[in-house]
Amino acid sequence: MSNPALLLLQDVLEEPKLIDWEWIGENFSEDILPALQGHIFLSFVSVGIALLIALPIGILSARYRKAYPPVTFVTGALYSIPSLALLAILISIPGVAIGPSPVIIALVAYSLLILIRNTVAGLDSVPPETKDAARGMGLTDRQILFRVELPLALPIIVAGIRIATVTIIGIATIGAYINGGGLGTLIFDGIGRQFPTMIIAGAVLATALAITADLLLLALERYLRPWARVRRA
Amino acid sequence: MIEFKGVSKTYPGSDRPVVKDLSFEVPEGEICVLVGPSGCGKTTSMRMVNRLIEITEGEILIDGEPNTSMSGTQLRRKIGYAIQQIGLFPHRTIADNIGTVPNLLGWDKSRIKQRVDELLDTVGLAPDDYRARYPAELSGGQQQRVGVARALAADPPIMLMDEPFGAVDPITRESLQDEFLRIQRDIKKTIVFVTHDIDEAIKMGDKIAILKQGGVLAQYDTPENILSRPDSEFVSSFVGADRVLKRLSLTRVGEMDLERANGGTDELLRINERLTVRDALSELIGSGHTRAVVEKDGENGLLTFEAIEELMGGASGEPVDGGKSSK
Repeated sequence: MSNPALLLLQDVLEEPKLIDWEWIGENFSEDILPALQGHIFLSFVSVGIALLIALPIGILSARYRKAYPPVTFVTGALYSIPSLALLAILISIPGVAIGPSPVIIALVAYSLLILIRNTVAGLDSVPPETKDAARGMGLTDRQILFRVELPLALPIIVAGIRIATVTIIGIATIGAYINGGGLGTLIFDGIGRQFPTMIIAGAVLATALAITADLLLLALERYLRPWARVRRA
Repeated sequence: MIEFKGVSKTYPGSDRPVVKDLSFEVPEGEICVLVGPSGCGKTTSMRMVNRLIEITEGEILIDGEPNTSMSGTQLRRKIGYAIQQIGLFPHRTIADNIGTVPNLLGWDKSRIKQRVDELLDTVGLAPDDYRARYPAELSGGQQQRVGVARALAADPPIMLMDEPFGAVDPITRESLQDEFLRIQRDIKKTIVFVTHDIDEAIKMGDKIAILKQGGVLAQYDTPENILSRPDSEFVSSFVGADRVLKRLSLTRVGEMDLERANGGTDELLRINERLTVRDALSELIGSGHTRAVVEKDGENGLLTFEAIEELMGGASGEPVDGGKSSK
């Protein structure tokens, strides 16, 4: 071990360890944590923006049924574009720089279909007699929407948010390909450097993040529906 | 008072009206039952009162004012509304459900709470047990009670009830009907009540409007008159071949003018004075007797086939008064 040349040789010959805990310890705050934070940022900003777009469109589509087929057509088309292709198209548009913004645009585009569909399905699930009773007692259309329809649709809307979030956390890893940041950075770097530890760290964290988000939203879904927890008579 | 004046409804794109030139009055404090086969426009007629459906022709006056003199939502807050499917808000507690209209009208919290408890009592649900529950925790019959309580919440002078006891089993329905009639004796609402069941109409109605296909009024009268003097083939077939027996169910034996029984009644069948004449007749025939004793106010009356015939005044004779007092 005293010969430095031998040491170097050994280093090169040795298969890289699957998980290099030492590397993880040393690079945690510099590489891993920022990647995780970037990933959370990308995913949640995207779902947030998507919701702001999808809720009004969903409510209008449920009201004005004629608007629904074109809406599903457009969002369905967006949903079916392969993610890598969508990113490539986006950065080829003049004025769209590489970085997080095209990634967010792509992620929003992917969530719209699920969120709009679940909003419409949620509103459709409200029993007609409940709406009729509400109207018959003198609630205005707006009161019916906010006090009756949306609260009753919320569990299905949140279920949509769950699916969208999990999907987006997965797709967001590709964002690193165009310098969007996130856990994909670890994965792509790991592939480039043939360093499995980075790949595994990125993949495991992305999966853990998706599962955590799913469970949190599931808890939210339960919390929003106290009336469903009670035992049926 | 509610007045229908030449009310018609035709849906856009259709040339046949669903309700045609409907005119009748529902006097203050009475239950008017709209009854008829499906597609006769009874629910449509009811829903035009609170303008859930807008009238095409004619008008509906409420206490002399056309129901178009205020906005639809304002109008509806003043009219109780109970439907067969109940339509309780599944995400709201029973108390919140009942408090819906008072809440819309801006009552303060303590007044709403007091009113909710009072109504739960009225419909026979213990406030402490039920106010914090959700609709899914209640049986169908209990939910219908809550539906009625909710319709009564802001003490509206007028109520619209569309088969409000329709979604429960016959026994529960009967007890809900009886209870509601008991409540109505005190609250004296002016009620438009829709049903497809002629027996329910006869039991609940002070007046019955029989509608036929195409939304045409076939007959509007008291249950007694409709049963004793149906004025068309349609009405007599709609009320059924047993209309004479149905008339018997309008009166309780305790209300009959019975001959005094003077001794020697020990071996005779005894009949409870609360039974309807129809049920008493059934018991009488079933027991093989021709006479029975009805005890009322400490006196024994003698129920005979002759007495029942007399009550009917012959099958097609004059209507007998007193039928309504059975409620």
